Amino acid sequence: MSQRIYITGLGVISAIGNNVPETLASLTQSKTGIGKIHHLTTRYKDEFLAGEIKLSNEQLADLVNDHNPDLNRNSYIAMLAAKEAVQNSGIDTADGLRTGVISSTTVAGMGKTELYYKELFEKDDHLSVLDTHDCGDSTERIADFLGNVDYVTTISTACSSAANAIMLGCRMIKNGLLDRAVVGGVDALSKFTFNGFNTLMILDKEWSKPFDENRKGLNLGEAAAFLVIEGEEALKKRNGKALAEIVGYANTNDAYHQTASSPEGYGAQMAIEQALQMSGLKPGDIDYINMHGTGTPNNDLSEGTATRAVFGDKVPRFSSTKAFTGHTLAAAAAIEAVISVLSIQNDMIFPNLNFTTPIAGLDLVPETSLVKTPVNTVLSNSFGFGGNCSSLIFKKVSA
Amino acid sequence: MAKAYINGTGCISPQDSINSQWFFDPVTPPSGDYYNAKEPSYKEFIAPNLLRRMGRAIKMGVAGANLALQQAGATKVDAIITGTGLGCFEDSERFLLAMLNNNEQFLTPTSFIQSTHNTVGSQIALIMKCHDYNFTYVHRGFSFESTLQDALMLFSEGKESVLVGGIEEHTPNFVELNRRAHKFKTYDPAIPFWKSTTPGIQMSEGAAFFVLGKHKTERSMATIEGVQTLYKPKSSDVILKKLSAFLDSHGLSLAQIDVCLMGFSSDVNFDVHLKELLPEIEKETVAAHFKHLSGEYHTASAFALWTATKLIEKQELPEVLAISDRKPSQIRHVLIINQYLGINYSFTLVSKC
Repeated sequence: MSQRIYITGLGVISAIGNNVPETLASLTQSKTGIGKIHHLTTRYKDEFLAGEIKLSNEQLADLVNDHNPDLNRNSYIAMLAAKEAVQNSGIDTADGLRTGVISSTTVAGMGKTELYYKELFEKDDHLSVLDTHDCGDSTERIADFLGNVDYVTTISTACSSAANAIMLGCRMIKNGLLDRAVVGGVDALSKFTFNGFNTLMILDKEWSKPFDENRKGLNLGEAAAFLVIEGEEALKKRNGKALAEIVGYANTNDAYHQTASSPEGYGAQMAIEQALQMSGLKPGDIDYINMHGTGTPNNDLSEGTATRAVFGDKVPRFSSTKAFTGHTLAAAAAIEAVISVLSIQNDMIFPNLNFTTPIAGLDLVPETSLVKTPVNTVLSNSFGFGGNCSSLIFKKVSA
Repeated sequence: MAKAYINGTGCISPQDSINSQWFFDPVTPPSGDYYNAKEPSYKEFIAPNLLRRMGRAIKMGVAGANLALQQAGATKVDAIITGTGLGCFEDSERFLLAMLNNNEQFLTPTSFIQSTHNTVGSQIALIMKCHDYNFTYVHRGFSFESTLQDALMLFSEGKESVLVGGIEEHTPNFVELNRRAHKFKTYDPAIPFWKSTTPGIQMSEGAAFFVLGKHKTERSMATIEGVQTLYKPKSSDVILKKLSAFLDSHGLSLAQIDVCLMGFSSDVNFDVHLKELLPEIEKETVAAHFKHLSGEYHTASAFALWTATKLIEKQELPEVLAISDRKPSQIRHVLIINQYLGINYSFTLVSKC
């Protein structure tokens, strides 16, 4: 039951890079991926910014080397990131150990459904979007792409989804149901989510400013990010190399409002405290917090308040990296888990871009430029609609 | 792994299952090539101010959860786990069509907010003020099975009570589109599902919730001993081998199973493996089926679990579920073998307390 869980592979594709090395380069050079919209078809193309992956669907199809017309953008990017994670870890899914694919998504196939939905009632050409609209589609595509996968499931808890996928992977290994898992999340941009967030009036038309007094909202992004996690027994068996350990996780519910976080950040505070408790670490042991930090007035105030409640006047160094990637919804916690591991691997804290003025009353000041400092422990938060709050804690593997 | 006691159930389906006394009699025939859930009068379960804004999936889910909680005599739980293949499709479609019809203008956020797949789970948490563990699984024919697997893990990890449920809704448009894609066929009572030679299912919907406990209570009706999912098994032999190992891990053999509830969908392509399995199952135990009553949907296995619970409670296999004339002498163990689209297979073992 108390098997330790290690991260052994990373894979990511987002606005700041098509793979892990490109992502690290953008992070260290403070190079945001958020800009003018090129790929998404929307009337707001010139009015808003977004964190788009810099490849067309055609280019993505070339990269996965599969031009099956049933594949959509969600599946392409999920397959690419999952494959990178598996290659990075060096696992062989055909070696007889039990491998799971636990993915997460909110938008699923909507990006394609919205292109054809109205014509489906008259023409038969694109009726197959009915088969690829649901959340399970991209997960099964990953499983088939990797091969020899024993277990698949998909989670959708809004913007905390991938944190829960990571958590479930850890628990299934600890409970003896799997030896290892490819865990993460994916959300391609769609007109549906874009308009949804626009009606909620939480999109910033300029670059988002997480934790800034004058923050106006978030920039949407798209990404897929996956991690290979392995139980210590499986890792020992193949003599693999661990990149970091997952030492704490917790899932709570704010139970305050369907979309808004409670002003005092009750759910967030509980998630952080429970994850700390599980890890055996004290608040003072955390070297860096990768915040959820969407840049909306509500989230950053709520998360900031929860952070103060847990850490008091000794808040660790922190940043939100969403001003690099945009808010990538279900993929957010996975891309931020990848960034947390990069932080540990490179002893670097990546900056919170676009910050100038602390939120009144909270006085929380994030890191605004690249900091080189020993990073042994990282807390990563993710919160979502429906009050879902999840926190994860990563730790450097001692030599 | 721990087992789970089923302490309360609430089932909304095309049948009269919302009535806890209903035992597969009378049975409502389907309305052609798809089924609608028989929805209750929601006023009994949901406050009017909340009810007004809720989509059908949310209403069915909240009502199903309330029924299960009432039956268990529970007012709080340590975790809420929902499973749904398509989530709140009605709200998703409403927002989608408004967006497409109005060229992305004049939109209001309500249906977008409610379109997220975790809306049912979070609405239940909001109503119950449950700040604890909250998860939503959205994987096709594994959506509900994943909730059960998670609950069993939570019991091993120290939780005491968990609310799980599977929810699915369809809309008139979605029915029409799937019909255009030739996914349906009209139900024909003269052709048993396991003898069907044509493709097509009867699409359906419903919500079934269960209050699960780590400990037995005076209300406990049955136990869930274990759940296993199988992704794209290559043959019925593979399924049979996995099944033997699954039963073996619970100290049982197929001969000790009293009823095997099989997820025949009446689609000849999806039912291939189950058809091959049927004689093997019938060699050892009594086979039964349920999708002619529930219709087919991602979380039809939640209806199957409710059915299994009923069989154990009443110690009887109603004729309408039976595949042959054989009757079990007693019902201690019910095995559910479900399939969805011939891709997602699962075993769920339900036993008498």
